[in-house]
Amino acid sequence: MTAMLTGLAACSGNAGEPVNPNAVELKFMYWGSNDEKQAMEKMIQSFNASHPNIRVKGEHVPGDYTTKINTLMAANQLPDIAYLGDSLTMKWASEGRLLDLSSYYDEYPELKNKLKSSYLYSEPGKSIGNYTALEVMQLFYNKELFTEAGVPVPPADPQKAWTWDEFLEIAKKLTKDQNGKHPGESGFDPKNIVQYGFAFGNDRSSWGPLLASNGGALTDKTGKKYTLNRPESVEVFQKLQDLVFKEHVAPDLIQQQDMPSNTIRLQTRKVAMVVDGTWSLLDFSNNKQLQWSIGVLPKLKEPKTMIVAGATVIFQSTKHPKEALEFYLYHNNPEKVDLFKSGLWMPIEEKYYTDEQAIQSWTNNAAHPPEFRQAGIEYARDYAIKPSTSTLRNWPDIGSKLTPGLDLIWTNKKTPQQALDELEPIIQPLLQGVYPDE
Amino acid sequence: MKRQQSGMMRMERNWGLLFALPAILGLLIFTIGPITASFIFSLTDWTIGGQMSFIGLENYQTILTKDTTFSQSMFVTTYYALGSVPLGLTAAFIIALLLNQKVKGLSIFRTIYYLPTIVPSIANTMLWLWMFNPDFGLLNSLLESVGLPGSKWIYDESTAIPSLIMMSTWGIGNTVIIFLAGLQSVPTHLYEAAEVDGGNLWHKFFHITIPSMTPTIFFNLVMSLIGTFQAFNQAYVMTNGGPNNATLFYVFYLWRTAFTETKIGYASALAWILFFVIMVLTVLIFSTSKKWVHYEGGERS
Repeated sequence: MTAMLTGLAACSGNAGEPVNPNAVELKFMYWGSNDEKQAMEKMIQSFNASHPNIRVKGEHVPGDYTTKINTLMAANQLPDIAYLGDSLTMKWASEGRLLDLSSYYDEYPELKNKLKSSYLYSEPGKSIGNYTALEVMQLFYNKELFTEAGVPVPPADPQKAWTWDEFLEIAKKLTKDQNGKHPGESGFDPKNIVQYGFAFGNDRSSWGPLLASNGGALTDKTGKKYTLNRPESVEVFQKLQDLVFKEHVAPDLIQQQDMPSNTIRLQTRKVAMVVDGTWSLLDFSNNKQLQWSIGVLPKLKEPKTMIVAGATVIFQSTKHPKEALEFYLYHNNPEKVDLFKSGLWMPIEEKYYTDEQAIQSWTNNAAHPPEFRQAGIEYARDYAIKPSTSTLRNWPDIGSKLTPGLDLIWTNKKTPQQALDELEPIIQPLLQGVYPDE
Repeated sequence: MKRQQSGMMRMERNWGLLFALPAILGLLIFTIGPITASFIFSLTDWTIGGQMSFIGLENYQTILTKDTTFSQSMFVTTYYALGSVPLGLTAAFIIALLLNQKVKGLSIFRTIYYLPTIVPSIANTMLWLWMFNPDFGLLNSLLESVGLPGSKWIYDESTAIPSLIMMSTWGIGNTVIIFLAGLQSVPTHLYEAAEVDGGNLWHKFFHITIPSMTPTIFFNLVMSLIGTFQAFNQAYVMTNGGPNNATLFYVFYLWRTAFTETKIGYASALAWILFFVIMVLTVLIFSTSKKWVHYEGGERS
């Protein structure tokens, strides 16, 4: 055994790095951009240096992560620790494939001090861990366009979030055709719009927060009854469809195919506001030509945002659960990983949202504009709900049936009421309830 | 003497087996094994990570009686095959006829038509994604420059599959090469005989070229039918099966069922149904082939 480990360690050891022949070897698999990869490798190196008895090997998967990890699961060749999409996390947790971290709470009290909303429970009281980081949806905007149009920027205080009508008014003022006319003015040409007030995607991260804000949802509380065709849900989709096809303040999805990433959309003045997740702070702060900031999303009834995040999990199949836990606790600790300061991640530990000094330690930098205190920290702490990908059983199946049905709304082939009614007989038989919330 | 010979034969046989072993093992481990496994999986409710239990033919029953996504993907794939197989074969045949002429720079033309075949399929797909772009794409720019209205191509339910059929003619290089080989083996004495009898170009084409080519057409028909039923990249790279499942190719649906929805058992059943469909189609074509495929020297042995 020792000989085998030595062999492995010798193969993988970087030149000049001291290698402990008795070190336990762990494999950690993750996704992410090149920036994220570099930050991860740095974190792994410093972990290995400070933990001579453990040797973590990182494996960055740039492509189709879900297919890869599914294949490894099917073949029983899983890594010890890995990133995992939230819906697959919940499925595998309930099938007993992931390590139940709650049984280690006494030994590792740090596992208990996270924000309540970041815990993922497969059974009541049984948690396999947390989201890797707490990402929520926000409104990113180009400040210059607001100054030029002479309109107020999106509020950062969730309590002062725009109503839908306020939001629509501003979006109209920020939308221009090639003659400089705005929607609603006579002579406005919707076929030749050069600047849109707003852009949103067709996935749950765009419509999910608004749905929550209006008291709508995919299912009732039990997760067994389809409710997306109830008035409070239909209204949200109707408002979004109208933004594109009636009010002409947002590009349709086909036009969005042609558009570059959100930062470039704002920088090139194609769009004034976009809905995007906290992780985009990294890209935005890397763009030096754009004067940007963030605000909260408009509200329908009450201000709400949604968590859109993956989890990090330890597989039940690992031979070294304790060493894996050591690394687990280290890998998203803001003191060890600079992905928090660079804007990609928000911490999940409670003190980084309540303790002034701790807040300063990760937000006092260029990636976090002053508005972030309210539109980021306060918004995520007090106004964020979990997405149905984390809460609903059987999500992978539901999700792939939901998308084509919603396409009919995004392409204006059907009214939301029609499209959502037609989805009921398709989605209803797939509903199997919810996972526990504590 | 006799013993020695048989010893020699045995040694030769053993060596032969040894050299064939990699191929035999490869077949057993990487082909027969997975095929058997997938059939067994298709009789279970296995989802990746979950428990597996034997449920008999339930997967097949669900697919054939309840699964509307199955019928949609079967429809999409059939529609695509009905469009792209005849179009591809006709285009390939015409190009092969042209390449069979004695013109200057022939090898350059042959290279040009074959080139797209060696470009990786994903790269081709990316290229077409750009061509189909409704706002800045090459196709709409061309249409616009001659005063015609543009199309939404793959982004609209009604034009998505026709667009992909058009795109499929891009990859006919292999078919062209096979047709070309067929054309060059048409016996010249038949043409000479036709000329002696006063036959013109059309007579030669319809009474000599086409009949002599039927075995080649038959082969290409079967191969491209199998190929189109396995279309996948277009949906994976370009459309994700959308809009509204308009491009949900069967194999893409199968892959999504296995690796996004994690239902390996169900996906295995889907795979066997596809196998069965392709087999039936192939048998049908084979059974009609006696009527229209002509082999030189009379009946097929």
